[in-house]
Amino acid sequence: MTDSSMTTENPIPAETSTGNQAAADLLIVAASMPPEQFDALLNNVAIAFSVENVVVAAPNEFTANGPTNLRIVSTAQSTAAWTLKPADFVNARQAGHEHQARAILMLGQGADSLNPGALRSMADAVLTGAADLVVPHYTLPPHAGLINSAILYPLTRALFGTRTRFPLAIDLGLSLRMAERLAVAGQRFTAPNQDDALLWPVNEATVTGFAIDEVDVGPRQVPQPSDPDINAILALVTGSLFADIETKATFWQRPRRVPPMRRPLSDANATDGTGDVARMVEAFRLANANLQEVWSLVLPPNTLVSLKRFSVLDASVFRMPENLWARIVFDFVIAYRLRTINRGHLLGALIPLYLAWVAGHLNVTASGTASERHIEAVAAAFEADKPYLVARWRWPDRFNS
Amino acid sequence: MGNLIASIIAANGAVQAVPVTADDASVLHHMSDALHQSIYRVLTLLIAVLPGILAFFVAVALFTLCGMLISWALRRCLTWVKFDMRLARKGGDNWSPASSPTEIAARGSFWVCVLLGLIIGVSAFDTSYATGTALPITLLPYVTHAVGAALILVAGIVIARFLARSVLISAVNAQLQYARVLSLGVKWLVLVLTAAMVLDHLEVGGNVVELAFGILFGGIVLTLALAVGLGSRDLVSRSLESHLEGHVERNGDRIPPPPNVPPVTSEQIRHF
Repeated sequence: MTDSSMTTENPIPAETSTGNQAAADLLIVAASMPPEQFDALLNNVAIAFSVENVVVAAPNEFTANGPTNLRIVSTAQSTAAWTLKPADFVNARQAGHEHQARAILMLGQGADSLNPGALRSMADAVLTGAADLVVPHYTLPPHAGLINSAILYPLTRALFGTRTRFPLAIDLGLSLRMAERLAVAGQRFTAPNQDDALLWPVNEATVTGFAIDEVDVGPRQVPQPSDPDINAILALVTGSLFADIETKATFWQRPRRVPPMRRPLSDANATDGTGDVARMVEAFRLANANLQEVWSLVLPPNTLVSLKRFSVLDASVFRMPENLWARIVFDFVIAYRLRTINRGHLLGALIPLYLAWVAGHLNVTASGTASERHIEAVAAAFEADKPYLVARWRWPDRFNS
Repeated sequence: MGNLIASIIAANGAVQAVPVTADDASVLHHMSDALHQSIYRVLTLLIAVLPGILAFFVAVALFTLCGMLISWALRRCLTWVKFDMRLARKGGDNWSPASSPTEIAARGSFWVCVLLGLIIGVSAFDTSYATGTALPITLLPYVTHAVGAALILVAGIVIARFLARSVLISAVNAQLQYARVLSLGVKWLVLVLTAAMVLDHLEVGGNVVELAFGILFGGIVLTLALAVGLGSRDLVSRSLESHLEGHVERNGDRIPPPPNVPPVTSEQIRHF
C-alpha cells in the first residue's frame, strides 16, 4: 500500500467533514470499533476539546448519533484490535502530515471507556511540548494485565530505565517527531508476512532521548486478543519484546538510573482469584517433571535446583521469589539472543514458569499484600539483577552462580 | 554291453595308473595362476584408482588451505574496515558475537573453498574411476549410497528431535499428563521412518525392511492413537464443546449455562 492511499476521504455528510485538509492542533487516530463505541468516543472528544482544533481519523463510518460538528476523516483499517500495530504508526504519521497536526492522539479499541479528562490530559502533555510520548497509566483490576506485570513492565524498567507501567499501552499521545520516529521504525514491519510484529514506543522514545510522560487516565476497558490462548499471546508479546531488546542492546547495556516513583502505589487488592492457583501450580509441576531437558539448556543449575525445590510446595503456599523470577526471565532473554534452542520452543518453555509466577502472585496478593506493591518488588528485583544480564550478554558462554 | 563295461573299467584303470605327484603339481600350478591373476587384478585396480584418490586428497587439502587463507584475509579486512559496526548502524544490531557478519563471511568463504575442493576432488576421482570401469569395482557406488544414507540419517535425527521437543512443549502446555510418552512416540515414529529409508537407500534387507517398517510404524501409530484417544477424551470433548458454544454465540444464540456449575474464578485473571 502506498502512503497516499493510506488516508482517504470518508463519505461523510458535507456539514460534518468540511475543511478536512485544514490544519488542526490535534489529530486523533481511532482504531476500528463498533458504532456505539465510536459514537461514545466522539462525544467524549467533543467534551474534551474545542472541535475546531481537532480532526478525528478513523476507519469507522460516521453515524447519526455522534456529534455533528467534529471533523472526521477516514483512515486505513488496522488488522489488530487489541494492540497498536506498526502500520497504525505509519498511517498516523501520514495523517498527521496531511492535517499539519501538532500532536497525535492514538486511541485503541474500547477508548470510549476513557473519560474526557483523560483524553485532555494526554493531549495537553504533548501539545504543551512537555513530552514527545505520552503513555497512559490505566487503573486496571488487580489481576488484569498479568503478562505486563510479570515481564513487560519489569523488563522495560530495568533495561530502559523508565517507570512506564504499561509499555504496550493501546492509547498514546505523540509529538510529530515521535510519530515520525515510530513510523520509520514501523516501516520495517509493514511487509505482508509481518502481521504479528509489535512496536515498543517507550523503548524507541528512550533510545532516541525523547521525553516520556505518563498520565493517569483511570479505568479503561482493555481489549483482549481474539485468540485468548495464553500460549499464543505470551509467545507473541515476549518474543517481540526480546527481539526489541536484542536490537537495542548497545543502548541498555550502559548503566541507567530509573527515575523516582512519582505516584503513590495503589493499595487495591483482589477479593479473590486464588481459584486457579492449584491448576497453575499443577501445570508448573508437570513442566518441571517433563521439561528439564529443555530448561537445562536455558537455565543455570542453581535455578533448576530452586525450581525443583519450589515445585514440591503446596499450591496454597506456593510462591516464586522475585529474584528467581528475574533471573529466569534474564536467562530466557539470553537464550533468545543466542538461539540456544528454537525460539518457538524457548517461548513455549517459558509459559509454565510464567504460570508459576502468576500462581505465586495470586497467593501473595491473597495474603494481603497489595498487587501493585508486589509488582514493584518484582520490578526492583529485575533492576537489581541487571548486571547479571549485562554480564551474560557480553560473555554468554558461562553460567554465573 | 559287456564290451562297453569292460572298456570303461579299463579306462578307469588307466586314470588311476597316472602318478599322484604329477596331479598335485597341476593343482598348485592352477592355484598359483589364480593367485597371480587376482593380485594382478587388484594391483591394476589400485593403479587405476590410486591417482584419483590421491588427486581427491590433494584437491581437498589444497582448497582447505586456500579457504583458511582467504577466511583469515577476509576476517582481517572486514575487521579493519569495521564492517560489523557499519552494518549495525544501517540495519540494527541483530547479531550475536558468535555469528557477527564478519564471522559469517569468513566462515562462509572457508566452507565454500572446502566444498569446491571436494567437488574438484570427486571430479578427478570420477575421471580416474571411469578409465578403470572394466574392472569389477562394486564398492565405490555403494560408498556414494552410504553417504546419501548418512545424510538421511542425520536429517532424520534432527527432525525427530525437533518434532519431539515441539510435541513435548505443546503437550506440557496443554497439561497432558502423558506428554513425555507422546513426545517419545513421535520421536521413535520419525526415527523408525528414517531407519527404513536408510536401509532402503542402502538396498539392505529388501522386502523384509518394508514389512518390518509397516508393522512397526502401524504399531506406534495405533499405540499413540489409543493413548491420545483414551487419555484425552475429556480434553477433546471440552474443546468440541467450546468450539460449538463459540459457533452458536456467533450466530446470535446462547447456550444456557449448565445447572449446578460453580462460577469460574479464572474470569478475574486476565493475562493481557
